[in-house]
Amino acid sequence: MATATDVIARPASASGLWSWITTVDHKRIGILYGVTAFMFFLLAGVEAGVIRMQLAVPDNTLVSPDVFNQMFTMHATAMIFMAIMPMGAAFFNYIIPLAIGARDVAFPRLNAFSYWTFLFGALLIHTSFVVQQVPDAGWFSYANLTEKPFSTGLGIDFWALGLQVLGVASLAAAFNFVVTIINMRAPGMSLMRMPLFVWMTLITSILLVLAFPVITVGLIELTFDRLFGTNFFNTAGGGDPILWQHLFWVFGHPEVYILILPAMGIVSEVLPTFSKKPLFGYPVVVFSGIVIGIMGWMVWSHHMFTVGLGPVANSVFTITTMLIAVPTGVKIFNWIGTMWGGSIDFKTPMLFALGFIALFIVGGLSGVSHAVSPSDAQQQDTYYIVAHIHYVLFGGSIMGIFSGIYYWFPKMTGRLMNEGLGKLNFWLMFVGMNITFFPMHFLGLNGMPRRIYTYTSDYGWDWLNLLASAGYFVLFAGVAVFLINFIKSVKNGQVSGHDPWDAPGLEWTIASPPPVYNFAKVPQVVGLDHYWLVKRRAEAEGNPITGPEAYVDPETIHMPNTSYWPIVTAFGALVLAAGFLVEFPWPYIKFPIPFIGGIIAFIGVLGWSLEPAAPEAHHGSEAHH
Amino acid sequence: MLILPPDRAGFPAQGPSRRFPLNSILKSTKQWFQGKNLLALGILVASLLLVACDANAKQSTFGTAGPVAEKQLLLFNVLLWVMVVVFILVEGALLYAAIRFRRRPGQPLPKQTHGNTVLEITWTVIPTILILGLGVWSVITLFEIDKPPASAADNILDVTVTGHQWWWEFEYPDADGNGTVITTANELRVPVGRAVEVLLQSDDVIHSFWIPKLAGKVDVVPTRNNRLWFLADEVGTFYGQCAEFCGIAHAQMKFQVEVLSQEEYDAWVAGYGQEPQLSAEAQQGKALFATCSSCHTSTGVDDPVVVDARQTAFLNGEPRVPAPNLTDFATRQTFAAGLAEVNRENLRIWLNNPDDIKPGNRMGELAAIYSDGEIVFSQQDVSALIEYLLSLK
Repeated sequence: MATATDVIARPASASGLWSWITTVDHKRIGILYGVTAFMFFLLAGVEAGVIRMQLAVPDNTLVSPDVFNQMFTMHATAMIFMAIMPMGAAFFNYIIPLAIGARDVAFPRLNAFSYWTFLFGALLIHTSFVVQQVPDAGWFSYANLTEKPFSTGLGIDFWALGLQVLGVASLAAAFNFVVTIINMRAPGMSLMRMPLFVWMTLITSILLVLAFPVITVGLIELTFDRLFGTNFFNTAGGGDPILWQHLFWVFGHPEVYILILPAMGIVSEVLPTFSKKPLFGYPVVVFSGIVIGIMGWMVWSHHMFTVGLGPVANSVFTITTMLIAVPTGVKIFNWIGTMWGGSIDFKTPMLFALGFIALFIVGGLSGVSHAVSPSDAQQQDTYYIVAHIHYVLFGGSIMGIFSGIYYWFPKMTGRLMNEGLGKLNFWLMFVGMNITFFPMHFLGLNGMPRRIYTYTSDYGWDWLNLLASAGYFVLFAGVAVFLINFIKSVKNGQVSGHDPWDAPGLEWTIASPPPVYNFAKVPQVVGLDHYWLVKRRAEAEGNPITGPEAYVDPETIHMPNTSYWPIVTAFGALVLAAGFLVEFPWPYIKFPIPFIGGIIAFIGVLGWSLEPAAPEAHHGSEAHH
Repeated sequence: MLILPPDRAGFPAQGPSRRFPLNSILKSTKQWFQGKNLLALGILVASLLLVACDANAKQSTFGTAGPVAEKQLLLFNVLLWVMVVVFILVEGALLYAAIRFRRRPGQPLPKQTHGNTVLEITWTVIPTILILGLGVWSVITLFEIDKPPASAADNILDVTVTGHQWWWEFEYPDADGNGTVITTANELRVPVGRAVEVLLQSDDVIHSFWIPKLAGKVDVVPTRNNRLWFLADEVGTFYGQCAEFCGIAHAQMKFQVEVLSQEEYDAWVAGYGQEPQLSAEAQQGKALFATCSSCHTSTGVDDPVVVDARQTAFLNGEPRVPAPNLTDFATRQTFAAGLAEVNRENLRIWLNNPDDIKPGNRMGELAAIYSDGEIVFSQQDVSALIEYLLSLK
């Protein structure tokens, strides 16, 4: 193999499809993540539409119960694992190196591998639509409904195998960002000078590193139960279905913070910029993020208050869950404190950030009401919870992500998004989201359980459901306006300059879009809100900064080279996982395809390790330095 | 593919011209949301919210009829008002800050404050105290409603509830204090004013037992013996349904609790399992029912050994499964887990094609009386079967 890889040179093309496939540039990978995640966001949004249309009127027969169950399963699975998480990853990729003054992430090829593995895992799960065996046990896939006698077909296998592939992608990305943030900060950027978004990314990445192994254990056990007849969750064989719930929620609750902390980081960047005031109580906002990250591990059983863990366990998890509202509340107060006495400019990113706070307050408050386990006994598994999670995930995460898109779009493209369309986009989404999700609080309190595909009109749920379904169209219009705005602005948006918002972050010191090397000279960070300090000092000296850091010849700066091997290795991982979907009627070796996948992945890793450093086909000593 | 243009210096003050009059639409919308219109909108929203909390709805958590649900509701109501106050204060502060500190033309750079320790400690400590207070009360309530009160201890009715995909089995180990055992399905009959302790079991997947007006839900987990208790203060029908996703017909796994006066309850217990009076047609139906009896019992209490054998057969892929006990079928108001009223027309629809009433049910899938989705009995036989079922009282 060594000789083979020696003769396979680094890929050298700088443009075209091939350059995207072999890229290791964090900015390109960020764009790939963002575009892919947005596709899945749209797909999951259409699935939500099917759910809302089926429930718009009682006794509806628009879709069968089978299809309905597939829709809510895939809606949540795609939104969580293939839309919100990777949209966060898109920002991590694009922004973090720029925000810490680095030229790339610590492991550029691992970064490319993360993206391709994510894409392949997402495609693997969605292949289930092609073969008409779609996962239908919910995004939480509670055992033992997922065991063979109760879920025949390949749906659950697609789900479990696809998530394991996605888990590999998340873990690789998370390790990469922990190392990047800790090791690659520009000189002068101490931890307490890191922008809030970098802090929240660090905490999110640590949570990911710790949380994904837990769900992976559960997924492997589930796969073993289904393929090899083990009895981890199979009650008929003495397995314990509650074990799955513990594994799932020990992962699942930190996962909630994995979804929301990046949005909190974005909002903590946007609010000071558009209030022209530093973040109020920066250390407290940082530490409350850390506290949320730690306490997020102590609350998982509040998803299991009705499981019968007993009053002692329920008491403990009631108190810990209620207490997590404190650091969350502190963040909200500090954000309001940031605006207080400021000079607030209501540009679209700011509107989305304000929308985030306004809606997250609602989600936080309803969260306290089902943190209380006796009260939760009436709310668990009802639409009240559906309302809550959409206030924190749509009102929170999605609003935060949209704020981030509008905020950093000029950095990524050199153009501004249209303000008028942006405001229309915001108001449609804000109003639509409230019309859709606020009535669900009442539906839940009036006794409507989640995940029911139909209801009769004698339960008094009709008009609230109709209202919620009507709201969907407003939301849909909001997202459509966003798409129009995005496409228009990429082509014809107003040219933004390098620093359209007079922002404090390092990323705004360089050109828009950034040159491939990011920083011509590694910056010396002078403090928290570095660029504000630099600009104010320059203004005071009567010599205001008007342009970005000057371009230099990219040839003079050593950058990581493109590589074939990340996509090869990721493809091997895909074949390895997907191979378990095809059982051969052979003795001993029932699943031969995973071996092929393993071999491909092994070749990928071997090529990766032995790859020459430079794009030219070097031989001999240079490749083995 | 994004084509990224190079950065250009400069930042024109005016946006490009638009054909669509977006700004004027936004402006007129903004003008609309002022004064009387805003007030009218506020009143409309507030009245909608009031209408939305519907205590009369069949499964409303606001229309409580027993001590467990009442204590849960009290806790929620207090939390709700705390939430409303916090909501108004925090959203108010947010809105005030947004309006008060909006950017004005020619405004200089605002004062660059970085924090305020006293303020930050205050808004950490106050919520902590508030939350711990509510938390302590929550824990007290939690223990209070965990078990029936000592005063009711010597007069508790025990019921074993078994969740099946997708119906409910109710077994009374001692329905009348004299050791009378009863097995029935989908309609739980209890005397008014008496504490009922429910043992929750499942022989397939996880379900959740929930009667919103009487008690919050507790999951029905195979391998566990969860318990729940409730007491109904008034005679009437209370509705419940499975609250944990349990497969294709999860939405159709309903049940009702019939709270009877002591006399009515006693009469039902005394009459249970008596040899029914059968007409000639019903006799004919009884003969046909022999096919059905591989899954359904119609002649009294279920034998646990028989039920287990049905479940084992199902797990092994045989066309058998535990099915509702039909002994007191004709006394029930509904069948098919609360979906259809018991009458001839509905029973004919059900027997001809159960999926017309309850898609995904096991009977349509497994019963030997169907072949390619068509019933093998003649309509005359179906009538006889209905006659038999309606005699079971």
